[in-house]
Amino acid sequence: MAEQEYIAEMRHITKRFPGVVANNDISLSIRKGEIFALLGENGAGKSTLMSILFGLYEPDEGELIIRGKPVRISSPSHAAKLSIGMVHQHFRLVENFTVTENIVLGLEPTRRLLGLLPYVDLKTANREIAELSRRYGLEVEPTAVIEEIGVSMRQRVEILKMLYRGAEILIFDEPTAMLAPQEIEYLLKILLSLREGGKTIILISHKLAEIKQVADRCAILNRGKLVGLFDVADTSTQQMASVMVGRELAPEEPPPPMEFGAEVLRVDKLNVLNIDKFPVVKDVSFGVRAGEIFAIAGVDGNGQVEVADAIAGLAKLHSGTITLAGTDITGASIRERTELGLAFVPEDRQSTGLVLDFALDRNLALRRYYKLPINVRGVLNNRAISDDAVGLIEQYDIRAGRGGATQVRSMSGGNQQKAIVAREIETGAGLMIFVQPTRGLDIGATRAIHRHILDQRALGKAILLISLELDEVMALADTVGVMYGGEMTRIAPLSDLSYDEIGAYMMGVGNSAEVTE
Amino acid sequence: MDVVIIDGLSYALPLLCIAIGGIYSERSGVTNLALEGLLGAGAFIGALFVAFFGGYFPTGSLPLMFIAMACAMVGGALYAMLHGLLCVKFRANQVISGVVINILAMAITVFLTRQINSTLFKSSDKIQLGVSPRFDVPWLSKIPIIGAVFKSVYPFEVIIVAVVAIMWYILYRTRFGMRLRACGDNPHAVDSAGLSVQRTRFAAVMISGALTGLGGISFAYSISANFSSSIYTGAGYLAIAALIFGNWKIIPTVGACLLFGLARSGGYRLANVLALPSSFSDLIMILPYVLTLLVLIFFSGTNRAPRALGEIYDKGKR
Repeated sequence: MAEQEYIAEMRHITKRFPGVVANNDISLSIRKGEIFALLGENGAGKSTLMSILFGLYEPDEGELIIRGKPVRISSPSHAAKLSIGMVHQHFRLVENFTVTENIVLGLEPTRRLLGLLPYVDLKTANREIAELSRRYGLEVEPTAVIEEIGVSMRQRVEILKMLYRGAEILIFDEPTAMLAPQEIEYLLKILLSLREGGKTIILISHKLAEIKQVADRCAILNRGKLVGLFDVADTSTQQMASVMVGRELAPEEPPPPMEFGAEVLRVDKLNVLNIDKFPVVKDVSFGVRAGEIFAIAGVDGNGQVEVADAIAGLAKLHSGTITLAGTDITGASIRERTELGLAFVPEDRQSTGLVLDFALDRNLALRRYYKLPINVRGVLNNRAISDDAVGLIEQYDIRAGRGGATQVRSMSGGNQQKAIVAREIETGAGLMIFVQPTRGLDIGATRAIHRHILDQRALGKAILLISLELDEVMALADTVGVMYGGEMTRIAPLSDLSYDEIGAYMMGVGNSAEVTE
Repeated sequence: MDVVIIDGLSYALPLLCIAIGGIYSERSGVTNLALEGLLGAGAFIGALFVAFFGGYFPTGSLPLMFIAMACAMVGGALYAMLHGLLCVKFRANQVISGVVINILAMAITVFLTRQINSTLFKSSDKIQLGVSPRFDVPWLSKIPIIGAVFKSVYPFEVIIVAVVAIMWYILYRTRFGMRLRACGDNPHAVDSAGLSVQRTRFAAVMISGALTGLGGISFAYSISANFSSSIYTGAGYLAIAALIFGNWKIIPTVGACLLFGLARSGGYRLANVLALPSSFSDLIMILPYVLTLLVLIFFSGTNRAPRALGEIYDKGKR
């Protein structure tokens, strides 16, 4: 058979779910050996389309053609037989197994002890994995246990799982959502080396810069329809963005200058230990003034989150003092902090920010459940809760199928985040802490959250922003503090810093003698 | 001192066999509180064989005992299928299933034992098994102190040691064992590798039943010398404590079971030496359980259960 130009074709694919057409007559052809990006807002139908290719769903209409032959892909293991592999956003790894054990699971090489008793030959497996990881430049430690390695290496393990199974078409679902800047760079390099190795890559993403950097072609979905197909080299990110959101997208405006007011938050010589009594925050001091956005930049795991947790009262501090609006809150309870005016948008919206199995209106009431009018002498006032929710849903443009009664678990990440932001802003607190407020959100939702943050600033709130996205820090901050290895190595107004300079401090190569306030 | 070791081992080893049964089930992700019921049901099937066919064998016959043990393993495995069906197939709550299976086993086996005895054999409410014969290992039993380990050994102790070694090998060295452990940590990973979580877990629960049945019949052939309601002394629960104390790992669980066994026999010895009246020996009997409480208080903090333990696996859910 002659070499097919297209390794995978999807023709007139339509997939309906109750009340929504997730994919509406989509036709795509993917060339062998290209990086094909699938771009779209959350809910545009990218994941559904790829789930069809991966055998998780069957299309209602249309056909799939793999290597020139029409096929019905009935299950992920069927897809694997057609050498299609997928790296899901949520990794599927056995945490107490080693890297090698995870990769070979299901296809374990075996030998016989004394020619009799079969056993899994991990020595050979370790060697094979080391060899495979060298071939594609995917650095892993074959004998490391998963629970002891970071997100980035876990992702490489998932990629190796596909390669070990001989996958030729590799689907990546939002692979950079959880990664720090250099890790993203590394992943993109891996993608290029996989392409060099003859693999076909489908990249689901909404980060335009990454697509621009590595992809050959790019298809854009909007509300279930294919709205654009571009050669990435000839298209600007601005063009792609406006097609993606379905309207002209003006670049984000820099925040207008503000007169800062009095200092609202003061952190002095803060030290925090982790579970193993290891210092993760070392002598950090800084202040945030009214009307100021103080952004802490840094690569994940350098103590930023612990600083936020300590201020919010979620983590115990080892030493140091925290002052909020002139009151020492070092040992205060969370309720006392709330009453003094502290609002907190946590890093993990699903586990810390929301009660996923509660309805939206209940989640919106979580901050005020003990106060009138929601709480009348110890009894919850359902009417007040749902009336309140109606107003907030409208005001913050939270999209939920059944209004306040929608179970939060069923909402999209962007809308979940909007709900948390709405709830926290409504506390009217003088200090707002945002930890990674736009992690995993699409452009539309990100812009909405940024607007809310800037509105709060305009109202004269003190804002502490912790972000792993340097772009976000550059777009919003008045003052930047860079954290590295648990220390704040640089504090300066944003206007005094360049992108590269912050990047250097984030990697620990800046001059730490320059800590000034 | 010899008595403490001899009695300690003859209690600790069946307990270990049951605990390893529990480990198999729990490492695959299925909570197994049903050990007490499984050991009774298994021992009952073994005893039933003896009740019906024991007459064809000479008294104290070893082959009869070995067949009874095999029957107990089959019986335990079959009864465990009930737990497997409820937990794996019908996705019932695993704790409730385990408790119900315990109550059911106790009620059915005691009832049937009485009925069979009164209608068929016109005798008491016990199936008499007798105490298994014992033997000394030549040479080794002559070593001072440590030699006690090889003195007055029940044949089932040897079998259990062999079984434990085999079960260790299967769990940690074979494909099946690796997949079983993966099911207990992250069933999604197993599923996405194209393997059946359900089938592995079901097999694990059945193995759990077989091992527990073997442990149960060993108790019936030693401590109680019969099958009756006296088989239900809480050894199943003690085995659960031992496996938790052993952190769901086989080697540490061996240590935990030895500790419980020696605590028990040491307690009896103490009661003897102090010449306490027999009513006090009941008090001594609670020693292993008191020890369990203490052990749990001090070690629970560092223990880590299999991550997906008790979690009903649902393909669609992420």
